[in-house]
Amino acid sequence: MTLATSFLGLQLQSPLLIASGPASHDVNQVALAEEQHIGAIVLKTVCSDKYDHMRYWPRPRYKLLDWDKQISGRSKYFTLYSYEQGYSGTLLDYWDFIRACKDHATVPIVGSIFADIADDWKELALKVQESGADAVELDISSPHRPGSLDFETTFVAAIDAVVKALRIPVLVKLGAGPDVIHQCKAAERCGASAVTLCNRIRGFDVDIETQQPILHGYYAGVGGPWAKYYTFRHVAEAAQSIKIPISATGGATSAEDIIKYVLLGASTVQILSVIMVNGWESIAQIHADLAAYMQRKGIHSLEEIRGKALKTMILPEDIVRWSGEPKTGARNVWKPVDDHGHS
Amino acid sequence: MATLNAKYRGLDPIPPPFSKEYPPVALIVEEKCIACDRCPPVCFFDALVMESRPGHKYHRTALVISENCTGCGLCFEACPVEAIIWVPDLEKAKPKTRPGESAMKDADV
Ligand SMILES: Cc1cc2nc3c(=O)[nH]c(=O)nc-3n(C[C@H](O)[C@H](O)[C@H](O)COP(=O)(O)O)c2cc1C
Ligand code: SF4
Ligand code: SF4
Repeated sequence: MTLATSFLGLQLQSPLLIASGPASHDVNQVALAEEQHIGAIVLKTVCSDKYDHMRYWPRPRYKLLDWDKQISGRSKYFTLYSYEQGYSGTLLDYWDFIRACKDHATVPIVGSIFADIADDWKELALKVQESGADAVELDISSPHRPGSLDFETTFVAAIDAVVKALRIPVLVKLGAGPDVIHQCKAAERCGASAVTLCNRIRGFDVDIETQQPILHGYYAGVGGPWAKYYTFRHVAEAAQSIKIPISATGGATSAEDIIKYVLLGASTVQILSVIMVNGWESIAQIHADLAAYMQRKGIHSLEEIRGKALKTMILPEDIVRWSGEPKTGARNVWKPVDDHGHS
Repeated sequence: MATLNAKYRGLDPIPPPFSKEYPPVALIVEEKCIACDRCPPVCFFDALVMESRPGHKYHRTALVISENCTGCGLCFEACPVEAIIWVPDLEKAKPKTRPGESAMKDADV
């Protein structure tokens, strides 16, 4: 039995990746992740200089909603509400960060970038490659990204330019929504090596005591264990629409969630929120539970079950249906209600 | 006062009033801390440690290393006894001036 996974030509010891964010903004976190036998690490996204303001974060920038910390600080369902944007250092800091990670890491390191015009994307991506990263992820779907940037006009050109310029694999991280499959296909056409599905979405919450938006008066990034259900669907759709591998991300907190993503066709799964709320050890727990499941099911490698659940999917018209409650007769005759609420 | 979704207290939904003048950093109210060890592991910025405190009821408390604190707010959600509060970081007067200020118009946050 092995958790080893082959992804983008890289041999990973596990299908679990650290997703881009606060668990991968600092070289010393590499050791913490490796202690847990993580498959690879996607570093915190760095923004081009034009988006320098995204390097400055409001305080506070995280709030847990529907979080019941009385349950020994572990809630099964919660929302992580966040205002965190880019890597807080300069581009030079980021290239040094990648080099330092590569000097010490034994697992693959994926750089992550954000820009707008294709030339800037390309320049950043080339620097990520030059700094030694094993792959680059294009974060075109951040819930905080400027709304003026459009997929068709901006990001297709960016993916195209980066793929043409680079030797290392290029992942494109997409957001949830009705366009995601169209965007998966566009990424594949541009030659992307994989898609990451799905980024967090933009959400909002209001404080009813002060009757104003919580935290900083603007929309925030939201996600949580509930986010897996629409991502399951997007992964299933994508697995049936494109040939490039899928790295799933969104709401995975347990081995069960990882197994489901694999059954729906994902090659790897990127996690973050579970580490933020339950600690780095949650990775070891997921690995142990994954191994137990594989043992119990007699699975040698997850490759054997990748996409298996899709094989039993059917078309809506083929779903077996039965007639409902008859609506003729008494159900269409008005019966007055008496004073006691009885008819 | 109870609100509809007040299952727990945790981080105040509205930032402290001084937060437009000074960056907030976390501070442990040592008398309240029950040394439960929950907050250090949630800090991704090496800003929380447990320290021995002779004379304290539990002989130890959590301690914020304020130079490292990014004011993220996550530790507030971990503390079962509301022992973490915001204080202004008086050394860093004023919010960071943002070189990209003009680009802020285009930004979402
Ligand atoms: C606080 C926070 C910061 C994040 N920052 C980034 C980022 O800089 N770049 C990025 O591509 N994704 C970012 N993400 C998204 C994560 O990489 C991940 O895809 C997402 O949180 C879904 O996984 P999860 O439900 O396991 O957290 C961030 C998420 C959180 C919660
Ligand atoms: S506010 Fe955030 S950075 Fe500061 S001590 Fe708490 S968890 Fe650490
Ligand atoms: S979580 Fe609260 S009570 Fe527990 S160690 Fe930290 S400050 Fe003290």
